[in-house]
Amino acid sequence: MRVNNITNGWRGAALVALTYIYFLIFAQFGFLARLTQAGIEGTNLRLVMGSMAAGGILLSLAVPRLRIWPQPALRLRLGFGIAAVGALAALLPPNTAGAALTAFIIGAGLGIVTVTLVTHLPQFTSTHRPILKVGFGVGLGYFVCNLPFVFEASPRQQSVLATFVCVAALALPLRAAVEESIAQPTGVQRLPFAAALGAFTALIWLDSAAFYIIQHTRQLKAETWMGSAHLWTNGCLHFAAAVAAALLLERSRTRLVLAGAYLALATACILLLDPAHALSASLLYPIGVSLYSVALVVYPSWLASAVSGDERARIAGWIYALAGWIGSALGIGMGQNLGHVPVAFVVVAGAAALALPQLELLRYRAREVALVGAVLGVAFVAHRAIDKHPAAAQLSIVEAGRRIYISEGCIHCHSQYVRPNSADVALWGPVEPIEEIRHQRPPLIGNRRQGPDLTQVGMRRSAWWLKAHLLDPAALSPGSVMPSYAVLFRDERGDQVVAYLVSLQSSTLEQQRALQRAWQPVSTPEASTEEGEQLYAQLCATCHEPHGAARQRWPQEFILMPTSLVENGLGHSYNLSLASVIKFGVPGTDMPGHEYLSDQQIASLVLWLAHNPVQPQLQR
Amino acid sequence: MKAAESSPSAPSPAVDAAITHALFWLVAGNAMGTMIAVLLLLPGLNRLLGEWTYGRWMMVHMNTALYGWCSLPMLGFLFRTYGVERSALRLWGRPVVWLWSAALAVGCYSWLSGTSSGKLFLDWSGYARILFPLTMGALWLLLVFAFLGQRRNAEQARWRAAAAKLIGLAVLAAVPFALFYASSPDLYPAFNPDSGGPTGASQLESSLGMVLIVLVLPFGIARRLPGHARTLSLAWVLLAVEAAFCALLGRADASHRMPAQYIGLGSILLWLPLVPLYYRGFAWNCETRQWKQVFLCWWGLLVVSGWIFFLPGVLDRFKFTDGLVGHSLTAVAGFLTALLVFVMTQLIGDEHAWIFNSKWSFYAWNLGVLAYVMVMTAAGWIEGGNPGFTMAPGPLHHVLYFVRLLTGLAMLAASVEWWIAATQPFGRMRRYQTSHAGAIAA
Repeated sequence: MRVNNITNGWRGAALVALTYIYFLIFAQFGFLARLTQAGIEGTNLRLVMGSMAAGGILLSLAVPRLRIWPQPALRLRLGFGIAAVGALAALLPPNTAGAALTAFIIGAGLGIVTVTLVTHLPQFTSTHRPILKVGFGVGLGYFVCNLPFVFEASPRQQSVLATFVCVAALALPLRAAVEESIAQPTGVQRLPFAAALGAFTALIWLDSAAFYIIQHTRQLKAETWMGSAHLWTNGCLHFAAAVAAALLLERSRTRLVLAGAYLALATACILLLDPAHALSASLLYPIGVSLYSVALVVYPSWLASAVSGDERARIAGWIYALAGWIGSALGIGMGQNLGHVPVAFVVVAGAAALALPQLELLRYRAREVALVGAVLGVAFVAHRAIDKHPAAAQLSIVEAGRRIYISEGCIHCHSQYVRPNSADVALWGPVEPIEEIRHQRPPLIGNRRQGPDLTQVGMRRSAWWLKAHLLDPAALSPGSVMPSYAVLFRDERGDQVVAYLVSLQSSTLEQQRALQRAWQPVSTPEASTEEGEQLYAQLCATCHEPHGAARQRWPQEFILMPTSLVENGLGHSYNLSLASVIKFGVPGTDMPGHEYLSDQQIASLVLWLAHNPVQPQLQR
Repeated sequence: MKAAESSPSAPSPAVDAAITHALFWLVAGNAMGTMIAVLLLLPGLNRLLGEWTYGRWMMVHMNTALYGWCSLPMLGFLFRTYGVERSALRLWGRPVVWLWSAALAVGCYSWLSGTSSGKLFLDWSGYARILFPLTMGALWLLLVFAFLGQRRNAEQARWRAAAAKLIGLAVLAAVPFALFYASSPDLYPAFNPDSGGPTGASQLESSLGMVLIVLVLPFGIARRLPGHARTLSLAWVLLAVEAAFCALLGRADASHRMPAQYIGLGSILLWLPLVPLYYRGFAWNCETRQWKQVFLCWWGLLVVSGWIFFLPGVLDRFKFTDGLVGHSLTAVAGFLTALLVFVMTQLIGDEHAWIFNSKWSFYAWNLGVLAYVMVMTAAGWIEGGNPGFTMAPGPLHHVLYFVRLLTGLAMLAASVEWWIAATQPFGRMRRYQTSHAGAIAA
């Protein structure tokens, strides 16, 4: 009995999954691509999409009122049949009038299927964890649509797939698994109609706008929906979020699901304002979409405060017509006209999506809200009154760079303190006088060296090297754990921080240079040419090989083009100070030091370079 | 010790809020710490962060640990000590906790947005630098009104207790101003010219500040036991003597190689036996036992290792390395966390002590911290002799950092367990609301 109960219920999951596949990969995606291929754009495109919305809205509102074919199974078959006709019609060469008719048929089919399905889902899911089955169906639908061979299929192939989806749905045995009256779970948190309508409209609006913007911005699309890895990740995230949403809805956490969906979508929309964040946005977007999608499907049957089947159907009709079709159209319109989702709109959408929790917050936590609001306000006024920080525009480039150094938390990995009478002096020296340190506002001594000390970095590294390193640290310092700060170079901040770092150098430069020239590695009998060769390939080849990565990428930037060691080798006169050059670099050029290398490593490199001035192996 | 002997722990929405908020920040801080540990192993993932770079998350991670996790349980302690729960203002305790969390959330946003003073643990800058002291001011006002209300009701017949609370209020009144001014980039404390870190005197000063808190805590939440007056007096006299000694050491820049500095800091070792003896002078709830023991163990380890790490030769090797990161974790995740959990267990009473007493989370946390400290000490020792160990990391470094990540996950799991356990009794909170509403109506 129990096994039957479980297996019967999977028809509900299959119906949900098939409906989603049809809607996502064809109605929302493949059909649009087909129109674009046929050159239907601008006003004509709007006309076609308007037809689809009209079909959807009309049938969503009409279905609950139709007295013919009262059986849900028949209505579903009718809806999938119409949808299949729409998918087949999309295979014909489209013109605007034909496409509008096809779009209307697609919308009408979807209107009938969605409203009928969500109204009568309990008939097909059985009484054993019906909401989880819906979550599984939604997740599966999204997962299939994100399979690379489905997502990247041609629009014609997607139309054929949509037809097969409808045929599969028509082939499903749609006899009611259970009577609806006994399939209603008790104890599930109900959501008032107005709150649900507001929340779903806001969420679908955000979703559609974000989807449209990503699809129509090349850079964003490349970061989110291109390549197998992205698609598999999206599919898995969709599936996991859908199942999580179902589990939460089963536990009466409806508001948490909607709040989570809003937070994910709102954050994704804000992140999309900056293309650098597209990847992060692409992780949040599927989570937000799947969270609310499950709630949207589950709502009419299990979360609405409906007392009869007719009322449930009417609620479903309004929700799918207004929130679904109109919310989606408004989102696409926003994407088309603005190209982004304004932050102010995200805030307004939050007010709608989270209306109920906010009202409850005000009702049960009025003191908390009042006190937090009052103190935030007082702090704002006080801040305006006493803040005397100089504006960024008033700062010199070095001062501005220092501010960025502080903002980015560089002190968490880099010290600016050379300890006197310690190994620091040779590596990062010279020592900075305490008076100079105290003169800084504030001193940036730091307490951790994940990377080198920067007290005198301007003496050890050229501006080009610093910039190249900030852009891609691992390219110049293999194995470096430092993150890329390429984001700073999209505006003036990158150059400012480079200017600041270059400014970090002492007036007692010559003394330090003499110290460095006199330096020799201690005797290291374990040094070997094998190790030297390995280090050369890792550290030196990038600049000293004709095809080295840094040399190729920055040919114009070097102060002095690095010697091509393959072509020119090393002069014998150079050998005497080679260890010092490797350790401390060449002043006045872009050649950096490798202060962190051990004496043995340096000796190995010297051995390799001195005895293999021309390296045919590396040329290979 | 019998449960009946211990101080009664009345349920309170304000204390509950302080505890659940503190645990939230602990979970958040641990999650960020885990993320940071992952980023150090897989730096390529940094690109997912966009503008919210590693360094900005470090600020959030460190400050949420200090101003969220380490501070909010003390709000619970203050509510209990100053009788906020029994005063006419009892319904304002939870709003103050909310305000604290809101101010910290604003701080987090400001650090992630790149607003910082550039001072470790005093990163408050811009709007947040005003908001957070104002929050402290709101807490102070609540405590003052609660104190005055109790005085009017003549509940505090003992003048000594009243005087101590008054002194406490005077000290607390200075904290918001101190925080505001200390966050200024124009102020910088004395430092050790041979290490760039704090002097022995300033370390002694902050250690004595911690000792002061340790000595004060029992008075607010536990009942004194007879027969321990001498130990208690000795502790307070010693604190006064050490404070005077610390003042004599002065606040000038001074090297750790000066005997006065390392011997002076060594005076903190006197508290190694004295703190356990002191805590025997109070009646504690039965269920606090394991956390009291472990807090005293961490105290011992912290005091001894803190002194050893300051010694000439040792500090020279470990300064700027993972060794001192491990030592910081001994302080915050070892000693302070054990102390705070001990205090919270006392505050919520034996009935709810199960929240912190699950065996696996107890061991996951403490062994996780211990393993972390050992791994980081080992990494710091190697790094002290060879900076390239960290700057151009090799397989051994990766292994040590991977183990560090595992210990971080153990700590995160334990904190999640506490947080979930603490938020489960939300029904309890509703019950308070109802009963309070009933009381007000009556």
